[in-house]
Amino acid sequence: MLQDLINAVALGSIYLLFALGMSLAWGTIGILNFAHGSIFMFSAFTAYLIVNAVKLPLVAVILIAAIAGAVMSVAVQVLAFEPILRRAKDSRAAEMQILIGGIGVAGVPLAIAQHYTKSNPFGFTNSSFKVDTFDLGGVRITSVQIIIIALALVLGVGIARWLQVSRHGLALRSIGVDPEVSSIMGVDRRRLALTTMTIAGALAGLAGALLTYNLGALTPESGETLILKAFAAIVVGGVGSMAGVVVGSYVLAIAETVVLTQTSGLWVDAVSFGLIFLVLMFRTQGLFGRREVRRT
Amino acid sequence: MSGRLGGLLRGGTALFTAGLLLTAAACGDSAGDTGSSGSSASLPSEIKVVSTNPETGAAAFAGLAANKGYEVAIQEINDQHYLGANTKLVLDKQDTTGKIQTAASQATSAVADKSYTAIFGSVSSQESVAQAPIADKSKMPIIFTQAGSDGVVIGDYTFRVTPPMSSYYPKIADYIKAQHITKLAIIYAAWTPTLKEIGEKTLPGLASQAGFTVVSSIGTQQTTQDFTAPISQALAKQPDGIAILQVGAANPTAMTQLRQAGYKGPVLGNSGASAGNLTPAGANGAGMTWVVDYSSQNKTESSDKFVALYQKKFPSETPLNYAAEAYDAAWLLARGIKEAGSADRTAIMQGMKKTASAGFTGAMGQLKFEGNDLRLPGVVVQWDGTKEILVTG
Amino acid sequence: MTNFYDANLVLIQSTFVGLLMALSIQVPLRMGVFSFSGIGCYGVAAYGAAILTIRYETDPLVTILLSALVCGVLNLLLGMMVNRLGGLYLGMATVAFDMIVSVVATNGGDLTGGPTGLFGAITDITMTQVVVICGVVVVALALTERGRLGRRVDTVREDPELAAAMGIRVRDYRLASFVVSGVLGGAAGAVNSLLRSTVSPTDIGFSLVVLALTMIIIGGARSWLGALIGAVIFTWLPSVLEVVGQWQTIIYGVIVALAAVYVPRGLVGLATDGWRRLRRRQPADTVAVADDTTPDRELAALENLAQDTSMGRTS
Repeated sequence: MLQDLINAVALGSIYLLFALGMSLAWGTIGILNFAHGSIFMFSAFTAYLIVNAVKLPLVAVILIAAIAGAVMSVAVQVLAFEPILRRAKDSRAAEMQILIGGIGVAGVPLAIAQHYTKSNPFGFTNSSFKVDTFDLGGVRITSVQIIIIALALVLGVGIARWLQVSRHGLALRSIGVDPEVSSIMGVDRRRLALTTMTIAGALAGLAGALLTYNLGALTPESGETLILKAFAAIVVGGVGSMAGVVVGSYVLAIAETVVLTQTSGLWVDAVSFGLIFLVLMFRTQGLFGRREVRRT
Repeated sequence: MSGRLGGLLRGGTALFTAGLLLTAAACGDSAGDTGSSGSSASLPSEIKVVSTNPETGAAAFAGLAANKGYEVAIQEINDQHYLGANTKLVLDKQDTTGKIQTAASQATSAVADKSYTAIFGSVSSQESVAQAPIADKSKMPIIFTQAGSDGVVIGDYTFRVTPPMSSYYPKIADYIKAQHITKLAIIYAAWTPTLKEIGEKTLPGLASQAGFTVVSSIGTQQTTQDFTAPISQALAKQPDGIAILQVGAANPTAMTQLRQAGYKGPVLGNSGASAGNLTPAGANGAGMTWVVDYSSQNKTESSDKFVALYQKKFPSETPLNYAAEAYDAAWLLARGIKEAGSADRTAIMQGMKKTASAGFTGAMGQLKFEGNDLRLPGVVVQWDGTKEILVTG
Repeated sequence: MTNFYDANLVLIQSTFVGLLMALSIQVPLRMGVFSFSGIGCYGVAAYGAAILTIRYETDPLVTILLSALVCGVLNLLLGMMVNRLGGLYLGMATVAFDMIVSVVATNGGDLTGGPTGLFGAITDITMTQVVVICGVVVVALALTERGRLGRRVDTVREDPELAAAMGIRVRDYRLASFVVSGVLGGAAGAVNSLLRSTVSPTDIGFSLVVLALTMIIIGGARSWLGALIGAVIFTWLPSVLEVVGQWQTIIYGVIVALAAVYVPRGLVGLATDGWRRLRRRQPADTVAVADDTTPDRELAALENLAQDTSMGRTS
């Protein structure tokens, strides 16, 4: 039972690390980046290519992945999303086009990685960091799980606080509320958007590296499956709320673990979709969503 | 578009499009029976066959390996002048890119192209299920490898040169007994037909024969990447044997997390863990044992001959079972053509049926067929951390 | 001609199915309803048609009709449940519905064939029947894009409050779009199952939502013509790209991304803009009008609408 709880917390932390970047971009500058999963995977893939050549420790691998993710995210923003936003006639149309643009862009890193790995799994076997397991009175937890849980909580809560109290955070939230007014008030939307996408990409890369260590292996398709889970976490927590995505990730993980332990495991997928549907039906703004976010 | 002109144009376009489509449909419906290629008493100088396999996408490693097997076989057939001094077998390759619709479309194109005598179908079950009715309905011989689900070998024209996993997996019973496994936990990929069958029917079906009970059975989803929860659940029942029946990256992940959870006992797997899929797990992957239809480690005369031939064309590479299956599939076709004495599709189908019922020796050993479907006893292999080794007894 | 037809039969069939499927999303989109539940209905009908055919050997046309109608009702019920939602929230809720259908299909045991799916649903359906179905649908939809009904639909999309003020029962229009979406999605799924004689969970997953969305956005979301163009392009593009060899999947992604950026109103929108620009080149009205043509359209729509209701007539 305690082991199940630890597993659920670890799983929730994985979802959180992945969803943080997506939620940040979506909740503040309104960009639902469908390429997030692809960036996540390709950052890990980049780190894999380098680690294969040079034996590197954990921190270096994570750094490489985070930088790769940040670079890719900015590239997508500058090359795809900004031109779309410039040409869009209203925010609703822009949302659709960004969605499709993200989907299109997502296919490119996926295809490149598939080409090089022939869709075989890849991992950081050549890294100098080896995963240790700790046995604490019957329950087991690995060093990577501890790092993931710690980082997820620190980053999740930290970013939520930062958005609340800092000036930059305030500026970002104001863009989410009313872009035109915020720009009149002197907020440099473009610079803030680029900064946000950089951070979101770095978070994706960080998540990619840590998840690869945790699972031991990733395939090029690994990013796509996590996107739907991220949706569920964000919707349950409330779009636009960083505290929401933190809580949402753990709620999702716990729900999935409960379903797994109580049934034979066939309905675990239905949990994320069912949660999305139920939350949207009965409490559209999720647990912590703000009403003032214009997402309709 | 506003205004009456726009409206007229719209309506006109609609009617015109409808008319064009109706004409196309009329042409199509009168197309009639796509008969077999022109029959001739002697063989033509070129007999063309097309391989529609995933060279990119999730099943790429299997599709690419199969294509290599076809190439090795066809080169041997031509070098030996097996079909006659003046007849060559020619292979075309098309990439299904892992998409069912593409695979189906390529099958249709091949059927319509009278120069093709046969199709080497996709290794992917889902693609094959879409291809099989197309080929069978149009009387085009299609030979599949892998593609282990139902709905593939559905008629006279569909052949499969890979035994379904459920037919040879029971060979694991000996290993189970040797390891003294009495309480087995099963964590299986419930979203793939083959592993669902093995996990829910075939493996539990060996319980009385091999002397174990299934203490835990957990189905996982396609989206399951982290196995700590299913593993905890399985270990809670304190099994002395665990079966991890997964595809692709789930294998090294599950093995790694299984060892991290403190389990040191025997682990059963499936051929989804082969082709080096377990490499990322490093030492944690060692010990996983499963049954394959073919392993190059199983040194028999026919296998060694095939391995030598394969390594002449692809040096320093060990052939995978996908390549061996394809090699034997190509030889089934060649024997069928020789038996038929013509390049006519129906005659070749009958020739292959005769060859199958008589059986023949291929890379994978003595090949016996049940109808159009291969049967093999199976070979038990184990991953030792860096490579596959044979398990005897 | 015949050989081209035979060789590409699957693609031709898929184009029609793709058209119906894309339309099932385009119709609600035209009403401003971001519902993707047409894909879920596609899944339900795909399995329903296969089950009917395999177990009861029902006539193909009856199967298609029945599946379409049942899905229309199903989608109506769904539409009533999610009526409060709008925009991306509605989209997400309907995508969740689609995915739940997919999970039920995988776990459906003997009824749905589980992960293997169903095969052997053989009927004597002909291409003529499929073409006629599509033709009827297209003509019906083309009619709804013209005249008063067309303008009403546009108003419901652009400004629901104004439409309500004008006496249009917005909720009825929205629910009607759910019915039509369900019927079209259901027809598409049933036709596909009968043409392929097989159905499996992978046929009805998230990738269909992505495909339908891509077809509409790039083809043009405003009209049935956009759905047709999108269906043609994205059914045939993979085989056209085959000549590129191993990089085809990359090029496909690049094309979609480029189109999303540079052709935001879809190809139909591009053609409309070009046509409009051509007409404006004519002398006399060389006023420097902003390139964005939406205000013109909305103004015209409102003017026409005002005329329609000037006599106090409602819906």
